[in-house]
Amino acid sequence: MGSTFVLVIVIVMAVAFDFTNGFHDTANAMATSIATGALKPIVAVLISACLNFLGAFISIAVATTIAKGILPNSATSGVDGLSVVEAALIGAFVWNLITWYFTIPSSSSHALIGGLIGAGIASIGSSAVSIHGIVQKVVAPGILAIFVCGAVAFLATRAAYMLIRRLGQEEARRGYRYGQIGSASLVSLAHGTNDAQKTMGVISLALISTGHLSALHFTVPLWVKLVCATSMALGTATGGWRIINTMGNRITTVESPQGFAAESSSAATILASSYYGYPLSTTQTVSGGVMGAGLGKRGGVVHWPVVGQMALAWVITLPSAAIVGAAAWNIADIFGKNSEAGAIVIAVLAALIALGLWTLSKRNPITAQDLDRTNLTPELEAERAEGLAPAAA
Amino acid sequence: MFLLGASTAIVDWGAMWKICLVALAAGAGVVIFFGFLLLGLKFAQGPVTAGATPNGAGDIGSSGPHEPPSAGARLGGFALALVCGLICIGVVAIGVYAMTQKPSSKPAKPKSALVIPAGARVAQVPPSQ
Repeated sequence: MGSTFVLVIVIVMAVAFDFTNGFHDTANAMATSIATGALKPIVAVLISACLNFLGAFISIAVATTIAKGILPNSATSGVDGLSVVEAALIGAFVWNLITWYFTIPSSSSHALIGGLIGAGIASIGSSAVSIHGIVQKVVAPGILAIFVCGAVAFLATRAAYMLIRRLGQEEARRGYRYGQIGSASLVSLAHGTNDAQKTMGVISLALISTGHLSALHFTVPLWVKLVCATSMALGTATGGWRIINTMGNRITTVESPQGFAAESSSAATILASSYYGYPLSTTQTVSGGVMGAGLGKRGGVVHWPVVGQMALAWVITLPSAAIVGAAAWNIADIFGKNSEAGAIVIAVLAALIALGLWTLSKRNPITAQDLDRTNLTPELEAERAEGLAPAAA
Repeated sequence: MFLLGASTAIVDWGAMWKICLVALAAGAGVVIFFGFLLLGLKFAQGPVTAGATPNGAGDIGSSGPHEPPSAGARLGGFALALVCGLICIGVVAIGVYAMTQKPSSKPAKPKSALVIPAGARVAQVPPSQ
């Protein structure tokens, strides 16, 4: 009974993390489409939500990797790991909300890994961490993603502007806006196949740990797929307007050819990296794409202080989520190993932190209306490009 | 949990160069072909922009004086748009196919595991499992 109750709490936390992952990462796919007025903000997030939902059912490769590939089958027996998984999820959940509050696009996956590291260290000590493993799986892909996608987006943007010299301003704007809808949709679909499945993998892992699922004949149960896909889609549909604003408006001023170049480059890089089995961080990939597109336009400006803030957040995501994860595990441990009381207490604390951040965010809200640029005229866009009409917030 | 490092290189350069090549071909390629698609449509449908110049520091060019397209230019424009459109759709289809063919990891051996839960008693587990 005890382990089943803790399992339920772990699943609830996993779903909550998936929800934050959804609204945190909507920006990756839709920010530039919203920034150029290719799509109304509400329409963009609804398209993204649907494609995220669909993407969760396309493949279970990532879920299988987390549930079986990362953990040896023999290691998943018993319920010892449940409280660690819960603490890790809380670390990721809370860090996602903190970065959302500060409008910084950071990697949800890195937050989850950080949470795991922190909870792991808290439970068994510093021997839990291998610096080599962190550099290999987290740091190197994060850095490479920025440069690979940034370079591709830079070249793509240069090519786009060379070609559209033969087009009229309005034709180019309209044409590339249509293109953006397609490329952003592809990024959303790719995001669904990756991120919804991370949570599926975590839940499946918890189910294997408690004997509710066989590790030998592994398959993700339909209800797990449905719950995770729905949670991520709902999170996406709520719209992470704060992060969308940063990604779409604050890094650089994006025109539709730049947006199309950034999204196409991001989609190509994400899919190629997944296909060749060396997954690059989606957030860093898309951020690199936006920067590359910003620099690719002659005279284009990248707001380096904003990029600096993002880079700082990327650097501290792992240790910060680890600290929160470790704190959560230690608090739960006060009530006894794998105790229901401890599991409830840290879940309630996480909920209170979420409520507090949500309340604080209301003081400086960023809404869909603030970001709507579908009625942006060429004159207004030119003014915005010159910094005369700065983006909301 | 343990976070164990595999005894492999920090960066898989073998995969990296393939990723760079494919990302460049697909990412930049789609943008270029889409640009040609727009140009093709422009040639086919509307008056050809003559003498359009880049506006200032690389902004989208402004339309210049117009002249009606010939039938050949119209047909060529449609053909160009059609071919480029098909290429773009093909690349997207390959992208969706790649999503469905994502390689999943094999069950990890204890020594190569990234994360192992607390209390896993790794030392007692035969590597073959």
